[in-house]
Amino acid sequence: MNSVILVARREITTHIRTKAFVIGLLITAVLVGAVAFAPKILGGPDSYKIGAVNSQELPLKAAAPDAEFEWRTFPDEAAAKKAVLDGDVDAALVNNTKVLTDGEIDSQLGVLLQSTNRELKLGAAGVSIPPLQMVSVGADTRYQSARTGIAVVLVLVLFMLIIGQVMMVAMGVVEEKGSRIVEILLTSVRPWQLLAGKIIGLGALGLINLVTILVVGVSASVVSGIAVDFPPGLPGIVAGVLLWFVLGYAFFATLAAALSSLVSRQEEVSNVMSPLTMLIMVTYFGAFYATTDPTGTLAKVASLVPPFSSMVMPVRMAAADVPLWEIGLSTVLMLLAVAGVLSFGAKVYERAVLRTGARIKLGDVLRAK
Amino acid sequence: MLEISELRKRFAGGPDAPEGKVALDGISFAVRPGEMFGFVGANGAGKTTTMRIVMGVLQPDEGSVSWQGRPLEYIGRRRFGYMPEERGLYQKMRVAEQVEYFGRLHGMGAAAARTAAGDLLERLGLTERRGDAVEALSLGNQQRVQLAVALVHDPEVLVLDEPFSGLDPIAVDALATVLQERCRGGVPVIFSSHQLELVERLCDSVGIVSAGRMVASGTVGDLRAAENRTLRVVVRDPAPGWADGLPGTVTVTGDRHVLLTTDGDDQEILRRAMKAGQVEHFGAEQPTLTEIFKEAVA
Repeated sequence: MNSVILVARREITTHIRTKAFVIGLLITAVLVGAVAFAPKILGGPDSYKIGAVNSQELPLKAAAPDAEFEWRTFPDEAAAKKAVLDGDVDAALVNNTKVLTDGEIDSQLGVLLQSTNRELKLGAAGVSIPPLQMVSVGADTRYQSARTGIAVVLVLVLFMLIIGQVMMVAMGVVEEKGSRIVEILLTSVRPWQLLAGKIIGLGALGLINLVTILVVGVSASVVSGIAVDFPPGLPGIVAGVLLWFVLGYAFFATLAAALSSLVSRQEEVSNVMSPLTMLIMVTYFGAFYATTDPTGTLAKVASLVPPFSSMVMPVRMAAADVPLWEIGLSTVLMLLAVAGVLSFGAKVYERAVLRTGARIKLGDVLRAK
Repeated sequence: MLEISELRKRFAGGPDAPEGKVALDGISFAVRPGEMFGFVGANGAGKTTTMRIVMGVLQPDEGSVSWQGRPLEYIGRRRFGYMPEERGLYQKMRVAEQVEYFGRLHGMGAAAARTAAGDLLERLGLTERRGDAVEALSLGNQQRVQLAVALVHDPEVLVLDEPFSGLDPIAVDALATVLQERCRGGVPVIFSSHQLELVERLCDSVGIVSAGRMVASGTVGDLRAAENRTLRVVVRDPAPGWADGLPGTVTVTGDRHVLLTTDGDDQEILRRAMKAGQVEHFGAEQPTLTEIFKEAVA
C-alpha cells in the first residue's frame, strides 16, 4: 500500500508543479467565474426609459418589481418624438392618452403600460379589482431554468475533466513503458501498485480541478447574485458530482491504462484509445441530451446503465428530482462495473506493460496464460 | 551466491520467421558475493535476455535463478539493483528527487533515501545538477543518474546491462570505482560490456556467451591457461637458416627475426636462438581477452 501512495504522490507532485497544470487551473477558475457573472453583465434586469409629456408617471414599478424604469419629462410632443426616434427613450407617454414608439412597442412594456393605466383610471373611478391569485398544482418549477443551467455546465465540466485526466493516465502509462522505466519500477513495485498509484494520483489532480471549479463557481454565483435562483438541494448536487466523477474516472482511467499498455510509443496512444474516446463521447452526448429532457425514458435508462450513468445521473440529479432508489441502484451498478474493469484492466496491464515493441493485440494478451 | 541454471528462452516468431528465435539455449553460471562478473558476447548473443530474466522482467521457458540457495522471487529482487539496457528515467523529474523516489520504492525511509541519493550524486559528480530536470542533462550525465538509481538502495546484488557504454574515460573510472567498492563490500556484480579491456581490468571472472550458450567462463587467468600458449622469440642478427627445422613461423623486420610458435620444446628453441645470435626476447605471449573472445565465439 505504501508503494501505491509513493507512486500517487509522485504523479501529483510532478504534475502540480508544471506550468500547464497551474495555468490550466487559473484559466478554468477565470472561465467559471465569468460564467457566474455572465447573466448579470449580459442580461441583468429589464430596464426601460420612458418619456412623459404633460403626463403623470405611472406606478409601473409596483406592477413589475424586477424591472427598472426611468422617467424623463419633455416639454412638448415634438421633443418627445425626437427622443423616441433617436432611441433616447423606449416610449413616450403624451397627455396620459397616447404612447409614442419607434415601430412596435416592446410587448412587456406595452402590456405594463396598458394595465397600469387601466388600473389607475379604474382606481380613480372607485373600482378596485383584486389581483388574480396564481396557484401551481404541478411540480415546483421555480428553479427549473437554474437547474437546467447548472446541469449544462456540469456536463461540460465532467466531460472535460474525465477525458483530460484519462488521457493523462494513458500518456503516463506509455511514457513509462516506452522509456522502459517500467522495467526498473517493476523490480520494486507490483504492477497493480504502479497502476493504482497512477490512477489515484491523476484522479486526485482531477479532483483538485473539480473542487476548484465548484468552489469558484458557487462563490462567484453568490457574489454575482445569481445564486438566489439556485435550487435548495445544491449541496446534494455537489456531493453527487464528486461521487460520480470519482466513479466515472475510475472506470475510464482503468480502461485507458489497459489499452495504452498495449503500445510503446506516444504516437500510437490516440489510435489505441479511440474506442474508449468514442465511449466517453457517447456518454457525453447522452448526458447532454439528458439536460434537455431529464425526465425522458432515454435519460432514465442511461442514468442507470454504466458507464453512461457516470455522467447522465449527476446531470439528471441536477436537472430534475430523481427517486432515491434510482440513485442507489445506479451507484451500485456503477461500483460493480468499476470493480469488473479494475480486475480486467489490471490483468491486461500486468501482461502487456513489459512487452515493448510493436502494438500488442488485446486478444493475445487475454489468451496468454 | 547468485546461480543461474539452464535458462532457456525462445521468442515467438513473426510472419517472417514462424519458427521463432532461440535466445537462450541452456545458460548456466554463478556469481559469488564480492565477485565482479563480466558478461561478454556479440550483439544478440543473449546477455540482455539473461539479465532481464534474472530481474524478473522476462519469464524463462525453462531453468531457474536462485539467490542464497533459494529460488529468486519478487521480494528478493526488490533488494537487487538493476540498470536496463534501454535507459529509463522520468525526463521531467528532477535528478535528486528521482534517485530518492526509486530509493523509497525499494522500501527506504524518506530521510535515508535523501541521504543516500545525496551521497551517490556527490560520488558521481552530479551534486550541482541535483535540482535540474533529467532531460536537461547530457547523455553521459543521464547515465550517471541511471546508475545512481540502480545503487541508491544499497542493493544486495547488482545487475547492470552495458553500464559503461557512452561514458567518457573519467566517468568510466568514477563508475568503476563505485562498482569495485560495492563489490568489496560483498555484493556480487554482473555487468555486460563490449569494452573487453575494461572487463579484463575489472572482472574477477568472465562469461562469454554466443548464440544463447555460455561458451567459456571462469577467471581471466583460467581462460588464458586454457588457450594454447604462444612462444615469442626475438633474435638480433642471427645466422641465416638458424630456425630451420623448428616449429612455427619466422618473420624478419630489419635485423630482427621473430619466431612465433605454439608447440615444440622451448628449451631446445632457446638454445638454438642463443647460438644463432643475440636473444632480445623470449617468453610466452599473454592472450588478451579480445583474442580469447574471438577464439571462443569463432
